Amino acid sequence: MRNTIVSIIAILLGLIAGGLLMLAIGSNPIEGYNYLLQGALINIERIGNTLATATPLIFTGLAVAFAFRTGLFNIGAAGQMLAGGLAATAIALTFEFSRPVMLILMILGGLLAGALFALIPGILKARFNVHEVVSTIMMNWIAYWSVYYIVPGYFKGPSLETESQKLPDEYTLRAPFLSDMFDGSYINYGIFLGIIAVIIIAFIIDKTTLGFELKAVGFNRHAAEYAGMRVNRNIILSMLISGALAGLGGVALYTGNASSMQIGLLPSQGYDGIAVALLGANNPIGVFFAAILFGILYSGTGFMNAMTEIPPELANTIIAIIIYFAATSVLIHRIIDKVKRSKANRPEHKKGEA
Amino acid sequence: MKKRRFGLALSLVLAAGTLLSACGKDEGNGAEGGKDKKDALKVGMVTDAGTIDDKSFNQGTWEGILQASKELGVQEKYLKPGGTTEADYLKEIGNLYDAGYKFIVTPGFKFETAVFQAQDKYKDANFVIIDGSPNDGKNDPVVADNTVSIFFAEHQAGFVAGVATALELKEGEAGFIGGMEIPPVQKFNWGFQQGVAYANENLGTKITIKKENVVYQGSFDNVAAGQQLAAQMFDKGVNVIFAAAGGVGVGAINEAKTRVKSGKEVWMVGVDVDQYADGIYEGDKSVILTSAMKKIDHASFDMVKRFLNKDFPGGETLIYDAANDGVGIPEENPNLSDETVKQVKEVYEKLKAGEIEVSAEQGDLFK
Repeated sequence: MRNTIVSIIAILLGLIAGGLLMLAIGSNPIEGYNYLLQGALINIERIGNTLATATPLIFTGLAVAFAFRTGLFNIGAAGQMLAGGLAATAIALTFEFSRPVMLILMILGGLLAGALFALIPGILKARFNVHEVVSTIMMNWIAYWSVYYIVPGYFKGPSLETESQKLPDEYTLRAPFLSDMFDGSYINYGIFLGIIAVIIIAFIIDKTTLGFELKAVGFNRHAAEYAGMRVNRNIILSMLISGALAGLGGVALYTGNASSMQIGLLPSQGYDGIAVALLGANNPIGVFFAAILFGILYSGTGFMNAMTEIPPELANTIIAIIIYFAATSVLIHRIIDKVKRSKANRPEHKKGEA
Repeated sequence: MKKRRFGLALSLVLAAGTLLSACGKDEGNGAEGGKDKKDALKVGMVTDAGTIDDKSFNQGTWEGILQASKELGVQEKYLKPGGTTEADYLKEIGNLYDAGYKFIVTPGFKFETAVFQAQDKYKDANFVIIDGSPNDGKNDPVVADNTVSIFFAEHQAGFVAGVATALELKEGEAGFIGGMEIPPVQKFNWGFQQGVAYANENLGTKITIKKENVVYQGSFDNVAAGQQLAAQMFDKGVNVIFAAAGGVGVGAINEAKTRVKSGKEVWMVGVDVDQYADGIYEGDKSVILTSAMKKIDHASFDMVKRFLNKDFPGGETLIYDAANDGVGIPEENPNLSDETVKQVKEVYEKLKAGEIEVSAEQGDLFK
């Protein structure tokens, strides 16, 4: 409950700060936010697009949050997404199966590739105590350059030099019934995968021995070890699951929202996942709603831009400010703590101070 | 004390809130006043991955639209997509459309699949795609009646720059650095080689190009690699390099600047836009001899103008070449002598009149 309130305060502060910036550049914040919301939610197509935009963020947010719980900072979600997306794309462009079989293979392939990419930093951390921040960031670049090499080399599209071939429609996560239901939006099965992932991860964290052990390692590694838990195994497992989630995010992004891989780009969703996890207080349900909020912000910016005189660069700044404040919920926790403590410690000063 | 600080913060927030709503009303009135431009055509643009001041496609397209705004009174707006997927591009096109911007210009081949879908989805809007043609990523391009696809004759731009280079330097050795080995870049290269050959045959110059000095780096953003390639070429005795390579070309230009500063005489030929300013190393002296330009701003301005004149060539694929002044070298070339400029102009006129043919194919040229 307290986490929820803190997150909401953080969002409100972010909105106020963004509004002040709009004022500073001579725009009307109420109008701006109005268009921002309209852009994200005004019709069923836009709602669909917002959900689709949020989907990869649900996965990367979960990935970061899950690793956080074990005391690991997985900054490699972007690279794991690339690995997952590349694996799924490669499978779809190489083999021919019926649609359900293919989709399952693509999802599994993406999941495994993401997990593999996180396994290496996991092992390095467990065996040699190499800090996972360093190793996951380096893995990002390995993924980046691998895509740079593999996509033009093996899956080059006929006309676009910097993109892979487009996947055939039946080999993507898009479903005609969903697009029709959402009036031509690019929403796809990814959102359902995301919801399933949220439920499974929530279950693992809260209801299983594994979840308990992972959290114990996160709270205090040495205590967990003393209690007889296999800390190294748990670190590796945690990274594996975190990577698998990010890999699925890659599948959702590259074979759902998009239908081809592009070279020379680290998906921004990887780093945004950190902010989503922070705002969601590392709780799967919280992550879900945080991702939806980010989806609204990202989807709505363009429309706000088109309808007002706010230039695109500043619109991005405003979104960044909202995110920045939203991600500083830790500060708000502290402030609340301080206020409480001062209340508890010095009730006799109350009248004089006010 | 702490409590008071908290109270102060709270009242600040409240004050901000009041201010916020107060100003809100003011702005609202302002917006009403600005409505008289509403009847004007609303021209929108979606940028590609780069920024609006990228000295290339985005900037060129936007400058044309700004010119249209100034001279023809259209209302302009550009949006920057959050990512570079087709979905991102389509989303921004949709945003422009919903906001009433029904004339939409998109720069670059990356928009091919997005425009392919948008031209059917928004039938009452018009689209201009520069350097690309709408397709679904597999089949032949389909340019719908509400869309114009624009290409440039890069080989002619390269040709004119080649002639200018040869005329100015008279003798020496030239090299070429390309970005990715894709048609627009290749055409620049082949045109440049033909231009140099033309000057050698008809205008008495002696510029050589060796096979090993025609290279494609393989990307558009590896500045360091561009610098290395240029350094190798200059070391081998090359006097002038034509770089059609985005960021790689920037690296090559940097290398040239360093060498000129240390007293060597080397030159660069710019690409796409007038790159003179990029090559400045001291005061207003630049290593850029001239630039092989694609006049992207002309294209976007022309399209808006023709649309307003009810002359929008929907469904057509247009080629901007010398005949319609779509390619060429800059108006002003401080590094070219008057004599050179005069002779280049004559060649350009012949090109315009069709007396000189420049091939867009490799033929027996290098790479």
